[in-house]
Amino acid sequence: MTSDRDFLTAKNLSKSFGGVQAVNDVSFTIAEQEIFGLLGPNGAGKTTTIRMLATVLDPDAGEIEIGSYLVRGQPSRVRDIIGVCPQELALYEELSATDNLVFFGRMSGLGRREAKEAARGNLELVGLAERASDAVRKFSGGMKRRVNIAVALMSRPKLLFLDEPTVGIDPQSRNHIFDTVLRLRDEGMTVLYTTHYMEEADRLCDRIGIIDGGRMIALGTPSELKASIGKGGDVTLEEVFLSLTGRSLRD
Amino acid sequence: MLRPLLIASIELKRYSSDKAEMAFSIALPIVMFALMYGAFGGEPSVSVTAHVVNLDDGPVSEDLLQRLESVDGVTVALYDSTEADSALDRSAILTAFVIPEGFSRDLRDGKPTRITVKRRGHGGDEGQVAAAIVSGVAQEVTGGLMVRGMVLSALGDGSDAGRIDEAVASLGGEPAVVVRERAGEESADPTVAIMAAVMTMFMMFAVSLNAQSLVAERANGTLERLMTSRLTANQLFVGKFLASSLRGAVQALVLLLLGFVAMRIAGPGELVQALAYAVLFGAAVSAVGLVIAGLARTRDQAIWSAVFLTMLMTTFSGTFVPFESGPMEVISRFTLNRHAFEALRDILAGSGGIADQGLGVAVLGAVVVLGLGAARAVFRTY
Repeated sequence: MTSDRDFLTAKNLSKSFGGVQAVNDVSFTIAEQEIFGLLGPNGAGKTTTIRMLATVLDPDAGEIEIGSYLVRGQPSRVRDIIGVCPQELALYEELSATDNLVFFGRMSGLGRREAKEAARGNLELVGLAERASDAVRKFSGGMKRRVNIAVALMSRPKLLFLDEPTVGIDPQSRNHIFDTVLRLRDEGMTVLYTTHYMEEADRLCDRIGIIDGGRMIALGTPSELKASIGKGGDVTLEEVFLSLTGRSLRD
Repeated sequence: MLRPLLIASIELKRYSSDKAEMAFSIALPIVMFALMYGAFGGEPSVSVTAHVVNLDDGPVSEDLLQRLESVDGVTVALYDSTEADSALDRSAILTAFVIPEGFSRDLRDGKPTRITVKRRGHGGDEGQVAAAIVSGVAQEVTGGLMVRGMVLSALGDGSDAGRIDEAVASLGGEPAVVVRERAGEESADPTVAIMAAVMTMFMMFAVSLNAQSLVAERANGTLERLMTSRLTANQLFVGKFLASSLRGAVQALVLLLLGFVAMRIAGPGELVQALAYAVLFGAAVSAVGLVIAGLARTRDQAIWSAVFLTMLMTTFSGTFVPFESGPMEVISRFTLNRHAFEALRDILAGSGGIADQGLGVAVLGAVVVLGLGAARAVFRTY
């Protein structure tokens, strides 16, 4: 399923805020049609990394290339091919799901009719077509998360950033999100997925980068990471993290 | 240009879907205007009823009653003798004025006569005020007749009564001393001043609405999402600025229409000019709001900075308590409210058009340009 061609290349990324090093010399690549998991505890540097990749933050050092465009020199080209689902529910809650999708679609350059059609399709994809006209504030947490993803898909991105898309939601919505992500990958999309849930990363991701204290401490497929600690048998990613950092992911 | 318009339209859609905000920005100014109008505007400073028993029914007593009715704030209530006595006994009224039989005839003949004041106790505050007014009006009416009678009596039967009547009538014009109420400077109508004050005060709240709007977008992640779309920061600013200015224009329009339809405070020409000036004022306060939004890192910081600035400007502008001179008057010239209040008041009162507001227009225009520039300079997407 995964292509051999790298769609994203991040080289030696660093970013600090007021003397605090949030991301420190991080490098990785993501192949076309790959689901790449960025795994780490809260405050590890996952969101800062995504913000640099998504053109929101300028890195202090390092280079990013996405789909043959350099983030530093061609941010508007990069924005044309990415979709971002931030960790926060980045929605206008007083407006309907359709209004949110159409608005963000139009901000991404779609015409009115195109945006309406895309909104209908994306709400169907996340299983919310029947609630399209309802104000988002009336939705459950899980439904809002799904709308959050649907908005990120409005620009028809080639690379989708999903920053902790399953935080605080019910198992039904979580499973729906998993199915959606897998389906998008199967349709040709490349996905960067951050989470601090090990089982999620294990289930979804083709490759995983484990980040802690702003540094990339391990990189590989789930099997490679499990094998790397040399215990054999049914090793979990939780144990991998414990072995690499000396503490639990939930600490 | 399309994206700023889309930003403005989504902002207005959110605004219109929030009933509380709608109530705050549209209904509250109307309520405030109504309360202030009820408290300070429109009503005369005196409001009394003169309870009168007219036993004469002649032309002079009729003239006296008409003149009493025409005094601002005075109402005349007529009784017969029995009704008046009964009302006094029951304390339903505390003072009654009795015009005697033959009142008109006696005055025409130059004979002295008198209006009797019947009182319950000391007659009440209203009764005393009414007595003073009735006395003044009676002197005005009877003065001319007394002069005529005295002249006729002095000249004897051969005198020309018609010419004497004309001469006496000519003396009944404007008195030598006139007492006239004045409110504020040139505008005697408090309704116009109240309208201008309420408009400027509520439009100032656009500062806080605009200030928190961008900070809220940053906090809930929509700003980040917008900044990863094709929208540029400049387009975002123009969109927010348009939305806020339009909101101010809607507020101004509602209040002006209310004043025009319900109170006839100005003609259509004044209305259009006042609206144009209000739109400029709304744009200026929107730009100030965006500066705060660019500086504030949290919603609380944005709201409290905006509230502080709004209160400061309202207090020091002298909108509600005018500063006639001294340092406070000088300080008031540096507030946006003062320029807006004075201009709107003058335009609505018809004592000056928008073309006469050169300084105010220049100040507000400069605030728009400098405010937008400063806001963009201090704005950070993250």
